[in-house]
Amino acid sequence: MFSLRGCGRWVAASLAKQHVPPPARLSGDSASAAPGTPRYDVVVVGGGHAGTEAAAAAARCGSRTLLLTHRVDTIGQMSCNPSFGGIGKGHLMREVDALDGLCSRICDQSGIHYKVLNRRKGPAVWGLRAQIDRKLYKQNMQKEILNTPLLTVQEGAVEDLILTEPEPEHTGKCRVSGVVLVDGSKVYADSVILTAGTFLRGMIVIGLEMHPAGRLGDQPSIGLAQTLEKLGFVVGRLKTGTPPRIAKDSINFSILNKQTPDNPSIPFSFINETVWIKPEDQLPCYLTHTNPRVDEIILENLHLNSHIKETTKGPRYCPSIESKVLRFPNRLHQVWLEPEGIDSDLIYPQGLSVTLPAELQEKMITCIRGLEKAKMIQPGYGVQYDYLDPRQITPSLETHLVQRLFFAGQINGTTGYEEAAAQGVIAGINASLRVRRKPPFVVSRTEGYIGVLIDDLTTHGTNEPYRMFTSRAEFRLSLRPDNADSRLTFRGNSSLSLPTRFTLLSDLSHVLSCLLLGCKEAGCVSQQRYERASWMKSSLEEGISMLKSIEFSSSKWKKLIPEASISMGKVVSIRALDVLKYEEVDLELLAKAVPGPLKKYTQCRELAERLKIEATYETVLFHQQQEIKDIQRDEALQLPKDLDYLTLRDVSLSQEVREKLHFSRPQTIGAASRIPGVTPAALVNLLRFVKTIQQRQAAMNELPKTGQCDTDRLEKRQL
Amino acid sequence: MWRGLWTLAARAARGPCRPCVRQSSGAGAPGSGATIFALSSGQGRCGIAVIRTSGPASGHALRSLTAPRELPRARSASLRLLTDPRSGEPLDRALVLWFPGPHSFTGEDCAEFHVHGGPAVVSGVLQALGRVPGLRPAEAGEFTRRAFAHGKLSLTEVEGLADLIHAETEAQRRQALRQLDGELGQLCRGWAETLTKALAHVEAYIDFGEDDNLEEGVLEQADSQVRELAVALDTHLRDARRGQRLRSGAHVVVTGPPNAGKSSLVNLLSRKPVSIVSPEPGTTRDVLETPVDLAGFPALLSDTAGLREGQGPVEQEGVRRARESCDFLDTVVTPAIARSPNGNGQRLLLVLNKSDLLPPGGPDLSPELPPHLLLSCLTGAGLDGLLEALRKELAAVCGNPSTGPPLLTRARHQHHLQACLDALGSYRHAPDVALAAEALRVARGHLARLHGGGGTEEVLDIIFRDFCVGK
Repeated sequence: MFSLRGCGRWVAASLAKQHVPPPARLSGDSASAAPGTPRYDVVVVGGGHAGTEAAAAAARCGSRTLLLTHRVDTIGQMSCNPSFGGIGKGHLMREVDALDGLCSRICDQSGIHYKVLNRRKGPAVWGLRAQIDRKLYKQNMQKEILNTPLLTVQEGAVEDLILTEPEPEHTGKCRVSGVVLVDGSKVYADSVILTAGTFLRGMIVIGLEMHPAGRLGDQPSIGLAQTLEKLGFVVGRLKTGTPPRIAKDSINFSILNKQTPDNPSIPFSFINETVWIKPEDQLPCYLTHTNPRVDEIILENLHLNSHIKETTKGPRYCPSIESKVLRFPNRLHQVWLEPEGIDSDLIYPQGLSVTLPAELQEKMITCIRGLEKAKMIQPGYGVQYDYLDPRQITPSLETHLVQRLFFAGQINGTTGYEEAAAQGVIAGINASLRVRRKPPFVVSRTEGYIGVLIDDLTTHGTNEPYRMFTSRAEFRLSLRPDNADSRLTFRGNSSLSLPTRFTLLSDLSHVLSCLLLGCKEAGCVSQQRYERASWMKSSLEEGISMLKSIEFSSSKWKKLIPEASISMGKVVSIRALDVLKYEEVDLELLAKAVPGPLKKYTQCRELAERLKIEATYETVLFHQQQEIKDIQRDEALQLPKDLDYLTLRDVSLSQEVREKLHFSRPQTIGAASRIPGVTPAALVNLLRFVKTIQQRQAAMNELPKTGQCDTDRLEKRQL
Repeated sequence: MWRGLWTLAARAARGPCRPCVRQSSGAGAPGSGATIFALSSGQGRCGIAVIRTSGPASGHALRSLTAPRELPRARSASLRLLTDPRSGEPLDRALVLWFPGPHSFTGEDCAEFHVHGGPAVVSGVLQALGRVPGLRPAEAGEFTRRAFAHGKLSLTEVEGLADLIHAETEAQRRQALRQLDGELGQLCRGWAETLTKALAHVEAYIDFGEDDNLEEGVLEQADSQVRELAVALDTHLRDARRGQRLRSGAHVVVTGPPNAGKSSLVNLLSRKPVSIVSPEPGTTRDVLETPVDLAGFPALLSDTAGLREGQGPVEQEGVRRARESCDFLDTVVTPAIARSPNGNGQRLLLVLNKSDLLPPGGPDLSPELPPHLLLSCLTGAGLDGLLEALRKELAAVCGNPSTGPPLLTRARHQHHLQACLDALGSYRHAPDVALAAEALRVARGHLARLHGGGGTEEVLDIIFRDFCVGK
């Protein structure tokens, strides 16, 4: 949002285009930069999962983008587990894909074992997951990144930020205008995205040894961490870990449980019908378990394990084997043996994340069934790193303190490739929109897991590495993997249909910019994807209304579909949509009974499946819609961005509430209501304040707008 | 957990709690939002009580209670026989008014029932409304908020809204405490715990069941817990006698040191020997409650054990109960101590008894003593002054409709318990686990409205406590 003052002027400017030249773009053209100094619209620092998505998204949106990374050959590196997706995480990947992000498409080209988790638990919680070939993923990602138009890649470590005077119409104490590399050279940029991962003062821990590193074999970023701290960012510390790697040929798989992939494989991306590899060519995973001997080794050697003793917060759901043994003693814990690649001779023992000294790790491994003769190739290790309290960023991932500086990924306290990728896409889109002076692109928690993720982070912060679970989403039944495209691919369109009378700066400017933006998601979605999503959307709508229009008596349905256990209730006639709700009925069966109108919907497997899913959840979703609308109404009530809650005199708020609002800087009444400790009474006071501003704004808009001068005079009168 | 203007109500009712709690009203009406109802006239003695509804189902509600006749003419009073839509039992002959939106107080369709003021009638009508699909009891300040949202209130008028919500939240909290004290409260807390645990286990099964080795039978365990819970709720709802005795009126507690004459005061005020009096300290050992008519207001007068280190276990328990009963009272009458025993912001009347023992020629009391009244239970001197002071206090308490009429609280209670039970029913019939979990979330939302709590974090905490999940 723009501040009151800024917006007033901007509206005037857009309405009076003929008279007043539009605000000069600050960049883009290398002509305006000092000779020899490179200049970009967006600079992305870091080439991990957040960085690659951010850089590609910014470039897709039309910004000249530079990706700065320590080493080009580590772009797309999967530094921990050799898998993508899972329950909740698969949802995030579908959403990243709906915004035309990269990871889902790359995974469809690089997987070696595709399996949908939770198959029997309902389509809302299906977890798309795959084992990924590390080498292939990296190769394919690098190919994609290096061939993205408008995207330049450069090696270099960023040491410092170039800061200038803030733009007066935005909040923040300064503005970032570029980065300084270790060698002292400078790169200018209109927006900067930091995706530093675990590199901020990263420390690797094995046993009692600690040495500075962002990832095994890579230097940490210390200068950058200091810069951020000096700027006043609140920094915290987190830890994570990774298991040892084992030589494949040293494992006795024959005595272990084998898990085979799905047949057929379900692709991650909406635009793929199938994945690159046939199910029969895919590799299996194996399951083994720990035993009391493992517990013994861990418990006997706690004194040699400094990572475990540290007070730094680790994840509760991705615990090291040490914390599992400590918290749940005398149990057998699962260890999944996962392939690292189609021709890799490494196995990743998922569940065995450990920081014991290397020789003890090897000793522990060899007492596990199937691993008796296992050879450890690389020890497991722990990483401790700085993260920045995510309450310091807005839902568009721009920092409150420094204008045009965006954070994405682990730097915000999350864990996981998918969580990082999701933030990367959002940061990339918004950095680009910011450069073009467009309103930010924010996903609501009613629209996607991306919204849940970012809203949780920006309103609650986190004190352990944050991971997505489906239980975090209130509207789990609406936010499904199957419908991510309908939810997000057209987002630009739906932002126009927001009830504008609810928006604070009753927003001619917003509407105008939406029109300018076009419907395809700030330009970040390709034509092909847009067309496919549109086709799917209209086919679904048509199919559902067709299913609603077909009605027969229950006895007739019983005759038509004897397989279905249709109850002979008092209801006289039953819609085809209701018949499709029965577990044993799918569209195929229904179309056999009523071929005329329904046959055509069985042609496309995805369409038929999605119609079945829509039918399953129809009743519940109907009830959920009202709640979603209520939340969206609250979220449309925007709070001025430049409110100084600590000194604001027009609103009666307690000191405690003021401090909470000051720290999190919620952008809407909806977000404010989710901050713990902000009372209903405080919200009403805020709301009243917002409405007062709205009235003033409306009064201002009604007066004739003859040009800039008038607007300025008005502003003086009102402020 | 966690939601703004439209969701304030839910939060207000539950007090400060985690954001983004799912608050699904099982019987959500189509159209724009649920229809709410409430007793709009104040507490206390009145000939007519006014019950209001607001929302799209108002017309339907009006027709349901007045038999399927035409809606009355807009904005004019008509006499109708109100009947319970389910049992067909007549409830009252009442004046009803129909205000189609947007020309109504809230801007939505509204209906008003002017019924006879007796508690039985009011409670009957409220319960009947609660059974109309799409209707639910209003939360604190909800009518006003709706009016505001539809532009029916000016900004100046809304200035008081925040205070109102604050007061109503506070009053509801106390009302809920009162209601939830004792057996029913424990039941409710127990139900909520069981439900949260069952939900956590189902959520764990969804989020971690596939990849991690959850113990066998997590889901079966949740199933049986839910089944037991449903039986308990059903029994409770069927057996009206097990519902807690309705405590009508303001709650006045007499407390103070032993042998100050608390029981004498209670007997004096109720004009009957409620408590045994004796010159011996520690005579009263339990909280004795008696409904009285104090200066024209209905009140529940409680005599308590003297606040001292009790001599025996029975008296100690009595003192504990005495302190506890001060947690949810409206007015404390204390014959000797200057502060409410719990230091809370309750209204407090300091009464010094045994004024007949003061030396003639004026009391020789410390000037630091806060405002107080002098009374002699023996002679009755000072009783008029005390009654006048009590009248003022009770007028302040009862004159405020926000105190949460117990009748409405009870209707709310029944409504949410029934909705919770219905949701548990759909849990059992859910075709997949995601839908089953959704039913539990809805059920938990209804219980949360009665006792608070209900965050996602609470569920995650149980998951990580009970299961070793993760890779």
